[in-house]
Amino acid sequence: MRVIAITGKGGTGKTAVAGMLIKYLTSGSGTLLAIDADPDSNLPDVLGVKVEKTIGDMREFMLQERDSMPPGTNKETLLESKVYEVLAETPRYDLLVMGRPEGSGCYCFANNLLRGIMDRVLKNYDLTIIDTAAGLEHLSRRIIRDVNELLVVTDGSRRGLQTAERSLQNL
Amino acid sequence: MTNEFPFEISPMFEGERVRKDDMFVELAGPKSRGFELVRAAGLDEIEDGRFNLTGPDLLSMQEGSRHPYAMIYRIAGKLVEPDLEAIVERRNHDFQNYIQGYMHLNQRYDIWVRISKDAVKKGLKSFEQIAKATMMLFKNELPFIEKIEASFITDPEEVEKQRADALKVYEARDARTKGLHDEDVDVFYGCTLCQSFAPTNVCVVTPDRISLCGAINWFDGRAAAKVDPEGPQFAIPKGEILDKVGGEYSGVNEKAASLSGGEFSRIKLHSFFEYPHTSCGCFEVVGFYIPEVDGIGWVDRDYSGSAPNGLAFSTMAGQTGGGKQIIGFLGVGVNYFRSPKFIQPDGGWDRVVWMPKNLKEKIKADIPAELLDKIPNEDEVGDLKTLRDYLEKKQHPITQRWAKEEAAPHAAPSEAVAQPAGAPLWSVPAGLPAIPQFGGGDGIKIVLKNAKITIERIILKGKEK
Repeated sequence: MRVIAITGKGGTGKTAVAGMLIKYLTSGSGTLLAIDADPDSNLPDVLGVKVEKTIGDMREFMLQERDSMPPGTNKETLLESKVYEVLAETPRYDLLVMGRPEGSGCYCFANNLLRGIMDRVLKNYDLTIIDTAAGLEHLSRRIIRDVNELLVVTDGSRRGLQTAERSLQNL
Repeated sequence: MTNEFPFEISPMFEGERVRKDDMFVELAGPKSRGFELVRAAGLDEIEDGRFNLTGPDLLSMQEGSRHPYAMIYRIAGKLVEPDLEAIVERRNHDFQNYIQGYMHLNQRYDIWVRISKDAVKKGLKSFEQIAKATMMLFKNELPFIEKIEASFITDPEEVEKQRADALKVYEARDARTKGLHDEDVDVFYGCTLCQSFAPTNVCVVTPDRISLCGAINWFDGRAAAKVDPEGPQFAIPKGEILDKVGGEYSGVNEKAASLSGGEFSRIKLHSFFEYPHTSCGCFEVVGFYIPEVDGIGWVDRDYSGSAPNGLAFSTMAGQTGGGKQIIGFLGVGVNYFRSPKFIQPDGGWDRVVWMPKNLKEKIKADIPAELLDKIPNEDEVGDLKTLRDYLEKKQHPITQRWAKEEAAPHAAPSEAVAQPAGAPLWSVPAGLPAIPQFGGGDGIKIVLKNAKITIERIILKGKEK
């Protein structure tokens, strides 16, 4: 299992790099999971895949529907199923969109569940490629824990390079 | 163990997922219908290991197709009773996932199953093999099951028909579960997820008291503690009941003492004033004592204005949080309002005197009908004087406490006591910053009971240099 995260300042072309990398790598054998971890989600468009719902939506659902769930509901099993519901399957790779960041509620428990679920999801793929915003929110929240390689994309601008440096420090 | 089946069976296949391209068939799921059900039956009603199938079997399904799917198990044994049905049913998910090439997601009428092409290639021919493997696992892992039989359904009409009956069974179960109270269980669950923020905070989650972040109820605690007993959710054996109304248990006190690092050693689970449950800061709602009316107001996180005492949620959250027992404030989850034991030692709903209208709307169904129009919101009451007048006018039950207080003899001299107890501390007029409380830990706690303090003059002196 190999996980590559691609980060960098917005507008420097990281989603383009992610998209092209995914297309190139799926020409081989092995299973690939693409994750769009940028709240300002662009990867589905770049890949030409239609995605209806995101993990953020499912996390919200867990919070909103809390009181109307049958009393003994196993929330981990439910959330896991919801994650697979939003996973988009294409012939060559699968795509998950993390979606919106947290709202004002308390997400500790939901995130705790999500961590375990994401661990298990990623194990099913030979390679995972994550397109993430410069803040590395999901990685810093440790929702996706093990990243083997980090690709930092930047243009020649000073700010781009500063952001790149910060990404490396954040990790 | 797996020789008789053409597939491997092992917990290591648990997270295994079958991709759309790799699947032979998809069963039930978000794009189809299905359910799983376990029912208790008499020992003489069941033939151990029997299997029957209604509808097409696996190999007569077209590759890549999707079908409705139902699994019904009947179990019997000396120790088997209807209350065990749900517990056994949940294991269907675990056990079936041990089967290589078979993916099971979710539960009840939301199940979602996929069988891989690989599994079929390796010799999986019929649902009977799946059923037999699952039944074997049930008997191995749950020894109280003496006999078990399975009926699977893949015929769409039959699935629909039986699904309707299954829904009724789930409903009846939920009704019984909702009737579960603190007295009915031996174990509560603790949660320390927030301890990174508030190191001495431990939430005690009981059937009548949800965690204050609102995310974890007693069942969640039980499920999580089972999966990872050394993790953030863990069992707390109740022990002896020390105070029925306040909700104090010896087992809980022991755990509190050890997990809070000695910070506190007694918790009354349903009390606002005496040894209250601590808060981390994630609570959904905070209750605050209003001495002027001897009542308790409540503010939820989404309310951005000020309460009648002039404080905002965030200010009060700052007072209440941090894992200490602070008398006068209490952080709770919204669901706690629905508890039959809601602050019962302090008068329950009769003590509630103010609530923002959004919060009130959310829990409207759970507010006692006769109090609905007696509890004002921010539009009706914005300050303490208006509050008192309003409660008087509406004859809120709290007015009876005022009558009692006036009848009682005036100002007994203050007592200095060496142990903490319940009476509320001095009131802070709105506008002044909150006076820091004497905390737990070092030294003596001074408790003033029935004291009326009058101060003629306050002299502020700069620190002597």
